This record gives sequence, C-alpha cells and structure tokens, in this order.
Amino acid sequence: MSAVVKVWIDDGCITCDACENICPEVFHVEDDSCVIVDGVNPSEWGDDIIEAADACPVDVILFEVAGGDETTEGEAPAEVAVEAPATAPAAAAEPVGDGALDAVMAGDRDLHILFGSQSGNAEGLCSMIAKKAADYGLVGHVHDMDGFDLGRMAGMKRILIACSTWGEGEQPDNAEELYIAAKGSGKILSNTHFSICALGDTSYEFFCQSGKEWDEVLETMGGTRIQDRVDCDVDYDAPAGIWMAEALSRIACVDDSGTFQEDLVAEMMAHAAGDSASASSGDVAIVAMPEIQLLANIFRYDADTGETGSDAWAFSIPGHYSVLDLLRTLKATQDGSLTFRDGAVDDPTTGVCVNGRLVLPGMTRLCDVVRDKGDGAQIRIEPVAAYDVIRDLVVDYSSYDNLRAASKPWFVGGQREGTFAGTEVIGTMDAVVSTELHASNDIASPQLLHATSDAVPYNRSYMGPAIVSHLWNRSCDPRISDKSRTAIIEALADTNGVKSETDIASIHRQGSMGANAAKSVLQAKTAVLSHDGYNGRHGKHVWWYTWSIKSSGKVNETTLYRTVLGPMGLASNALSGVSARMIFGFTRTGRPMFNELLGMVAPPAGIGKMPKQFNSAVENHHEVISIFNEMDGRF
Amino acid sequence: MPTRYAYHPGNVAHSNAIEVADTMPLAAESLGIELVPLDGATSCGAGIIRQANADLQVVLNARTLAQAEAMGLDIITPCATTAATLHEDLTSLRTNGKLMAKTNDILERNCGLTLTGEVNVHHILHVIVDELGIDKVKSAVKNTFEFKIAGYYGPNIQQEGACGGDDVFDPDYLEQVIAAVGGKPVEWSSRTHSVGVPGIFSEEKTVMKQTAAVLADAKSEGAQLVVSACNLSHMLLDVYQGKAGKTTGQATKVPTIHLTELLAFAFGHHIDRLAQLRTRVLVIGD
Repeated sequence: MSAVVKVWIDDGCITCDACENICPEVFHVEDDSCVIVDGVNPSEWGDDIIEAADACPVDVILFEVAGGDETTEGEAPAEVAVEAPATAPAAAAEPVGDGALDAVMAGDRDLHILFGSQSGNAEGLCSMIAKKAADYGLVGHVHDMDGFDLGRMAGMKRILIACSTWGEGEQPDNAEELYIAAKGSGKILSNTHFSICALGDTSYEFFCQSGKEWDEVLETMGGTRIQDRVDCDVDYDAPAGIWMAEALSRIACVDDSGTFQEDLVAEMMAHAAGDSASASSGDVAIVAMPEIQLLANIFRYDADTGETGSDAWAFSIPGHYSVLDLLRTLKATQDGSLTFRDGAVDDPTTGVCVNGRLVLPGMTRLCDVVRDKGDGAQIRIEPVAAYDVIRDLVVDYSSYDNLRAASKPWFVGGQREGTFAGTEVIGTMDAVVSTELHASNDIASPQLLHATSDAVPYNRSYMGPAIVSHLWNRSCDPRISDKSRTAIIEALADTNGVKSETDIASIHRQGSMGANAAKSVLQAKTAVLSHDGYNGRHGKHVWWYTWSIKSSGKVNETTLYRTVLGPMGLASNALSGVSARMIFGFTRTGRPMFNELLGMVAPPAGIGKMPKQFNSAVENHHEVISIFNEMDGRF
Repeated sequence: MPTRYAYHPGNVAHSNAIEVADTMPLAAESLGIELVPLDGATSCGAGIIRQANADLQVVLNARTLAQAEAMGLDIITPCATTAATLHEDLTSLRTNGKLMAKTNDILERNCGLTLTGEVNVHHILHVIVDELGIDKVKSAVKNTFEFKIAGYYGPNIQQEGACGGDDVFDPDYLEQVIAAVGGKPVEWSSRTHSVGVPGIFSEEKTVMKQTAAVLADAKSEGAQLVVSACNLSHMLLDVYQGKAGKTTGQATKVPTIHLTELLAFAFGHHIDRLAQLRTRVLVIGD
C-alpha cells in the first residue's frame, strides 16, 4: 500500500462526489466542497486516496507521501488543452553512474509474464516480451494462466500480463479460473510491481474488459502499477510495442529487494537501446531511438457537423516509431474516432502533412520530423492540402484519379530496331536513358506528389506535377510511338497542362521525389514552349524575360508588361489598382514615386530619354551577349 | 571588423522593388556588413530563363558566381528567389563534373573566368541569424515595431541546403528577427507557400488565388504587417493585393514591406518612412 501521510482539499472543488464514491472513509462531500472526514488516518487508505485523486476532475485532492513529497495529480498546462501525459517523461530522469545500474541488475532478475489468450495473440505477445526482456537484463518466464497457482504470485517482484477479451467482456477460457481466484484472494501482493496490456476490439461494447479487470484486481491484491495499462484495438502491434518498451524499461528498474529505482529508467532505456541497436527485427534492422516526450496536434474534421479544429495529446513514445505508429497508438489509446488511412508502410494513399512536410506516415520516423523550438517536441499532422477532406486526415483522391484517367496514361508502343539475342529479336534501350527513366519514375506516391504543387489547390483543372511527370517521362521513353509522343506533348501544352504550374520551387522542396518531379516539369515546360513557338502569355513571358537579360543583364519589367500583357492586360491592371500601386510606390512608405511610371510611359515611345533604371546594363555586358550568342541563337 | 560580402541586390531591386535597393545598404551598414558591389551580375533568371534554356541559365549564374569567387567573397542577397536560384545552380555544378567542365569552358572563352565552386550564396536572413547572431540585431535597434507581424519566407529559400541552419518546413529565423525588433511574430501556416510569381502573367487567376490565400491567412491570424524575405513575392503581395482581394472576395489588404525595410527602419534609417508605416498600420489599418 502507498504510504500517504497527509491529505487535504484545495480550492475549486465542484462537489462531483467521485472521491466519496471511491473512499467514503476519507472523503465527505458537502454542499460547497469536499472535506476530509475528521479523525481519519490517511495511511490506512493510501491507495484509495491516490485513486480518488486520480479520479478528481479538477485535481483538488492533494496528498503527501512518506518522505515529504507533495503531489498533485493530473496537472496539464493551463494554456494548452491536452490529455495528461500517459507516462512520466522518462528521458528527463537524470542518468546515474554505471555502478547503480549494475547494482539494480544484480540478484533476482525474474520477470513473470502471464497470458490470458483465446486466439493466441496474447500468448504470442508474451513470447515476444520474454525475448525482449533479455535486453533489459531480465529473465522472462511465460506462464499460461490456465492451471497457474495463484499463491506463486505472492513471491513475484515483477509481473506483466497480456490478456484478451472474449465475447461480451468475458475472460478468455484459460484465464477465467485464475481471475475468480484472484478476486477473492485479498491483499497477497506486498512487494510486486505489475503492468497490463489489454487486447480487444473497439467494435464490441466491453472493449478490453478483461485487461481492465486484471488491472483492477492486481491493484486490489496490493500490487503496485509500474506502468499504465494500454488498451489495444485489433491492430495492436504499435500500441503494444510502445507499452512493452515503456513497461520493460521501468519494471527492469525494480531491484533485488523489490524497490523501484525510478532514477535509473533513462539509463536502463539507453542500455536496452544499445543492446538492441544492432539486433534485427525480421529482415530489417531497427535502430532504437530514445523516447520523445511529444505534444501531438492533429487536425480534426467532422463531415456530419462541418466542424474543423484540432486535438492535442501529450505522451511519451520511442523516437524510432513511425508517424503511422503514432496515429495507430492515438486511435487505440486516446480517441477511437480518429480517422486516417491505414495500410502498409509504403501504401501511396496514406500520405499526410507533418509539420509542413508531405510524407508517407509509415515510412517516416518521428525523430526525423518532430520539431523542438525550446518549448518541447511537437508534431502537427494535417491532411494534404490539394484534396477535399472526408474526415480528419482522410482525403478524397477522386479529383486526382479523374485527372489521371483523362490524361490517357497508358503506353502506346511503336516499331523500333531490335537486337538478336540468341533465339529472338528483342528491343534494347541505351543504359543511360534507361537509368534516367527509372530514376524519374521513382515516385513513392503520385497522390502525394500531386499535392506538392501550391497551384493545385487553386486550379483543380490543372493536371498537377504527378501526371505531368508521368506523361513527360513516357514521352521520353524510346519505345513509345511517334503518334503517342506527339499526343502527349499536345496534352501537356493544353490549357490545363504544364503551363498551369505557377511555381516549380514548391515541388522542388519536397524531398527527392519533389526534386525529380520538378526536373521533369521544367523539361516538359521547355518542350511545350518550343512546341507552341513561345506564343501566348506564358511563351511571351519566358521569351521576353530571357531577351531582356540578353539586352542588359537585368530584367526589364516595362518590356514584360507591355509585350506579355498587351493593352487588355494593362487596362486590367490600371482598373484594379495594380498600376497605381506601382506608380506611387507600392510599399506606401515614402519611397520615390513615379519610378515605374517613367518606365510605363517613356520607352519605347521615343519621347525623351529612357529612364536610367531601364537602360542601364551590367558591367561587362558584352560577355553576356557573347554567352547568349554561343548557347542560344534564338535570342 | 566588418563582414564582407559580394552584393547581389536580386531581381527587380533596380526598378519595381527600388525600396529594397534603398534599404539593404543601410541595414547592412548598421549590422556591420560591408557590401562589395557585384556590378557584373545578371538576373538569376528567377525560374524563367531556364524554361527556355536550362543550360543557359546555369552558365549565366556561373558567371555571377565566378565573379564573386574572383573577389574572394561569398554572395549576399536580400532576394529569396536569387539566393535559391544561385544556390540550386551552384549545387548542380558542384555535383555534376561534366556540367562544371562544360560551363567553365564557355566561361573561360567568353569571360576569362573560371568557377571552382568554393563560393557560397547567402540570403541576408541567414547571415543575420547564422553568422552575426540575433543579438546583433537587438543591439542595433533604435525604433521598435510593436505590431503583430507575419514573416513570409516563400518556397524558394526553404529548400534543403538553401536555408542556412533554419528548418526547411517549419522555419523560425524571420520570427526571431521580428521579435528582435520588438514585433510580435504571428504563427501562420502559409508562410512558406508560393504566391506563384513565375505565373503572374500567364496564370493570373490562379496566382491571384494563391496570393489572396497567403494574405488572408496572415490577416486571419491577426497580422498587422507582412514582412517578405523575397523581392518578387514582396511585389506580388503588395502591388497585387487589391486585385487578389477583388478576384477572390477575400480580405487581403495589409501593409507589406520587405525584410530590409523592416531592418533599416528599426535601425533608425528613413524615420519619415517609418512614421508613414506606423500611421498606415496603427491608424489607417487595412
């Protein structure tokens, strides 16, 4: 039992009766506040007092344990609406010397792992825990609850239980008998630390009921919970894995005498990570990273009510876990209604926006994307912006699918020369061309690539960078027919083709996938501008911008505005105030007026001298002309 | 001891963004930065020339980079587009030996220059935070800005390797500078979004929507002033903000200045312009 030596009530009680329901021997709720029952000895009701403090919705139950630690329960920063951290920030614990860790790892290191299992999931999980326990210097012993002698528990210092739920909240067949015995056993655990992993299915009313019952009964038996229970849904791998790492880190710090050495948790974690860093999990080695105390801010959208907002949760999670693991954990342990696309780690439709970065969540480690600006590690997860949101992080890809279908993305081969390869003639491809095509087509998620363009959300007819890249790469394939290649260029030159892309820089910044696509989009633009003979506003813009650089080394806006926009465009700017802002100094902070007016009206009408800002040239301008003459005779 | 850089004013600083050309030398002087004119530098191309001929843009920018190398100086610029475009072409040259050899061949024959690739390109924002330290700004401030200010980065300098020590996707250097001059940085998500400058002539409808979205986001987060780190985006955010509002029906009107103006005004230069800006922000509003 926890040694509570003093208990009192702070201001702010809302008289909800929760404490009195839990422990009427200590708490009595009156009209305006709860009071402590006169003459009560808190040390006799330590665990109940702590439970009541836990349950208090306004955290006004304060208590003091032996040793003078004054505690308030469930505090959260007032300015941020977050759930209370699921675990203590283990990383904040100060590591102590190797000697202390060596000492805790001496003597009895038995860890007893009991499973209540109907289909084998809990049993399999316990086997994994036993194997992993070795990294923490523990000796794992897995026990089937069926036939287990309850009396043996009394002498155990460390117990972990994984238990599934059967039917309508019932214990699995192999656990029923032991559970009934445990309920009636009384306080037989005086020196035992425990934690529970509950397996269940949120589609049932009594989700994880068996695990919850074991959690309660072990506490009633006198055990000390060393790690909060985790309630896992059908996809239990990620939340169970996180619980396992945290529970093992803490329970491994229970020493030979049964005392929990909390100061050693961080060091124990590092010790286990060091031991397991080179270990393999399946075919891929996982480099374990330290726990991150994380504030996760997740975008929420309810299509039924049309409400948008965000939820924030604070908790501790290993840094090497993926963003997808995080989302699965939040759904399983915090809010079952959280909606996101789940799937294989490389599923291209699972993309989300994490702290401004477009990623596939299963392939992105938390330690690579969380941001700490001095006020703690934070992660912000939003749906990708180019699509309509269906619910929370799930978006509707139909706009992309329709654009892709309209682009006729299939391959139409043409006749070409082949090479006799022993038995038959086959087509061959130059190795360099082949490599470039493969590299350009290495796109992890076309849906995500579509969203890299900042133009796409504002022009839903634009085919987008993913389709542009696909078509351009196909046109570069030497196996394609000439007719198909021409059709592709014409599609790219269409109103909703590559010219609709307003800024390649947005695409380029999104990792290697974006950089590859930006290169394809640029090449496609060059091809369609040449195909169109630099006609239209886009062509004229590129043509006259380049021409003005040859002419002076500087961009000449007068030329651009006159030649590209023409009279109609200039009139539009005049009527909308654009010209006025240019003429009068657009910052309106007193800069020289009429600077641009000179440029707009003087050249090339031939009246007076061309203003200096438009007829000056860069130093050694002849070098620029010489480079142009050598590299591009069109200008 | 002043820090010396070869100075590239960036696109349109000689014409449409002349206030940048006005204030950059003043801001640099107060920060102890010596700007050595790079008079032979051409426009970086602003993502336009390369649409006609990508190799031509690389060679033109290699010429600018080689001129700075010959001076023994790194390049500094107040224009995000120029910083990023020069950096991107420099990276291509450094990582592609054939391209570097071909480019140097053209440079040597036409300009008598050779590029080694040792030169670096910096936006003034990164020089301030990474090289000088933000305390340098704090100590030079004479006039403080008490406004809520939204810092606009745009997508160009927020590229891997082009943004100094700042985070590509969640930057805070502008916010540090804004706080250093007494302003209250606004948290807003559109600060790295493109306003679509390269498409302003041909895709005006889309660009107006992009511009309006950025300005409306800044305003909805309470910004009284927008500060841009890019000459070209600055032009669009200011000159076109009325048109963007009319086109989209969104609230877009908010005073917009360039980073160099913010610095120069804070350091005590052009106090008349600062007075006008204060009036604009605090009395007239949007």
